[in-house]
Amino acid sequence: MELRRYIARRMIQVIIIFFVILTVLFLLFRWAPGDPVSMMVDPDMTQEDAEILIVQLGLDQPIGVQYFIYIKNFFTGHFGFSFHYGEPVVDIIWNRLPNTILLFTTSIILSAFVGVFLGKIASWHKGKKTDSLMTIGALVTHTLFLPWLALILIWVFGYKFGWFPINGMISEEVWLDPEAGFIARAIDVMYHMVLPLFTLFLIHFGAYLLIMRSSMLETLKEDYILTARAKGLEEKVIRDHHAAPNAALPVVTSVGLSLAFSINGGALTETVFTWPGIGRELVSSVSQNDYPLALACFLMIAGVVLVSNLVVDVLYAYLDPRIRY
Amino acid sequence: MLASFLEGWSIFRQNLLGKIGLVLLIIFALMAVCSYIPPWINPMYNPMTGVDPAITSCTPPSLRHWLGTDFMGRDILSQLLAGARIAFMVGISAAVMSIVLGVSIGMTAGYMGRFVDTLLMRLADMIMVMPTLLVVLLLSAVFGQLSIWTIVLIIALFRWPGVSRIIRGQTLSLKQRPFIEAAKVAGASHFRIIFVHIMPNVLPLAFLFMTFRVTSAIITEAALAFLGFGDPGTVSWGMMLQWVWKTGHMFQAPYWLLPPGICISLITLSFYMLGRAMDEVLDPRLRKEDQTD
Repeated sequence: MELRRYIARRMIQVIIIFFVILTVLFLLFRWAPGDPVSMMVDPDMTQEDAEILIVQLGLDQPIGVQYFIYIKNFFTGHFGFSFHYGEPVVDIIWNRLPNTILLFTTSIILSAFVGVFLGKIASWHKGKKTDSLMTIGALVTHTLFLPWLALILIWVFGYKFGWFPINGMISEEVWLDPEAGFIARAIDVMYHMVLPLFTLFLIHFGAYLLIMRSSMLETLKEDYILTARAKGLEEKVIRDHHAAPNAALPVVTSVGLSLAFSINGGALTETVFTWPGIGRELVSSVSQNDYPLALACFLMIAGVVLVSNLVVDVLYAYLDPRIRY
Repeated sequence: MLASFLEGWSIFRQNLLGKIGLVLLIIFALMAVCSYIPPWINPMYNPMTGVDPAITSCTPPSLRHWLGTDFMGRDILSQLLAGARIAFMVGISAAVMSIVLGVSIGMTAGYMGRFVDTLLMRLADMIMVMPTLLVVLLLSAVFGQLSIWTIVLIIALFRWPGVSRIIRGQTLSLKQRPFIEAAKVAGASHFRIIFVHIMPNVLPLAFLFMTFRVTSAIITEAALAFLGFGDPGTVSWGMMLQWVWKTGHMFQAPYWLLPPGICISLITLSFYMLGRAMDEVLDPRLRKEDQTD
């Protein structure tokens, strides 16, 4: 019951934050140099089309009314038309969003699990070679410059060895082949995902490893671990069943705190590997001055970060019954 | 003051990673200082405008150009040195600004409490979830090409919340101490209490956070330049990587692709190691938030 109330409160907070972001962006785009019409309406449109769009977006109204139309349009999915694609922005967003979510969630879950697992091992061998090797490895991979790492991986595994595809997320021959079933297509996407996923994984797992390691060392000093030892339990049982679950809690917190950082990395990875996600769309829309698309992409990314933050917080509250905010 | 510094230094000296970090940073600082030498020897070594009259394409390392030349015949080594200067400039100025903001806001929130505290901390929560790189991207969409100082300013404006939370926590516990009570009784103003009595006690922690802020600013600027939205008037390592990538030389010219990436990664690593070592000197339990960005 209490958990449900906590979730409800966090949800209201998220909605308020999102509204603030929505409002700030509205003001930003209205006060930007140049008039709002040039910001939201494609200069290449015909006069009639442009006028219809101006009325739809409420750009002929006073600014207060414009704001309400903007909010209404947001919730009914009218983001205007992309200058570059000439399509409704909402279609582009729905097309790209799942790709980003696929890469983003897989990479976070994978790196968190591997980080926790390796951090556990490192703490168990504290002061020995395994530990120092893992700590240094984690430090080095975590501080690598992401786009550069992506380029190096492309160079080595994509170009030199030719093991993996280096761009896009599908191969046309598989997707145009009517014989290919769902499994074949899924495998094709996974095959394209290997290098982007590996890039994100290498950058992120180190941070989780280091947190898990130090948290594990703290936990092992607790009295209940001493009790478990006194009972004569096996060391492996103490490590995996008594210490690790508690020690992993700070990792959950840090996943939440680093979400904004991860989505930056996601956008860079998508751009280098031409993964058709929302981050790459934001980057390219900015360079093409495609304002409506850039605005919508940014809003969607902010939404993804906020929702994943909420998921992480709820997960934390669920995992740690001691904590109620 | 000096004694506590010497004590800290002796703990620091036992930390191998911290020492490696410090040595690496000194090397980078030397690189930044040396960046003025090549253009002074010969204008063709100017990182931005200098073009070797005999070379107009990307060439491998030679005696004349130790790290080779880029696609226009500019010297890669002098670009690399200039990049070190930009990295320090961006990193340190953004870090100082965000720390000043974070410390002032954190102290104000912690000291004033109630409404001010709630307001400032909700603002911090909100900014904390914003991906800085993408914010700068969006702003450059709206306002056009951003100069290096605007980029630094935006990074600083979006990277204070983490620091302010920690400083707020510190201030809350300091507020209960008798010496603050004494200052109040003596009739000190809020302003005076915050900046004269509380600030000296939170500064060591603020310095620790500065090392992490430096790396995050360097990375953000480099990533922005890599995506093609950097200041076109500066030669940063991110910019160099963008040139390799966009001109399609990444498979042919490892001597061009490797150095800038190694430099960005190493400077990040060394600030990070320095931060961890300083953390150990101050108190490992003080730090709550692990800095991943």
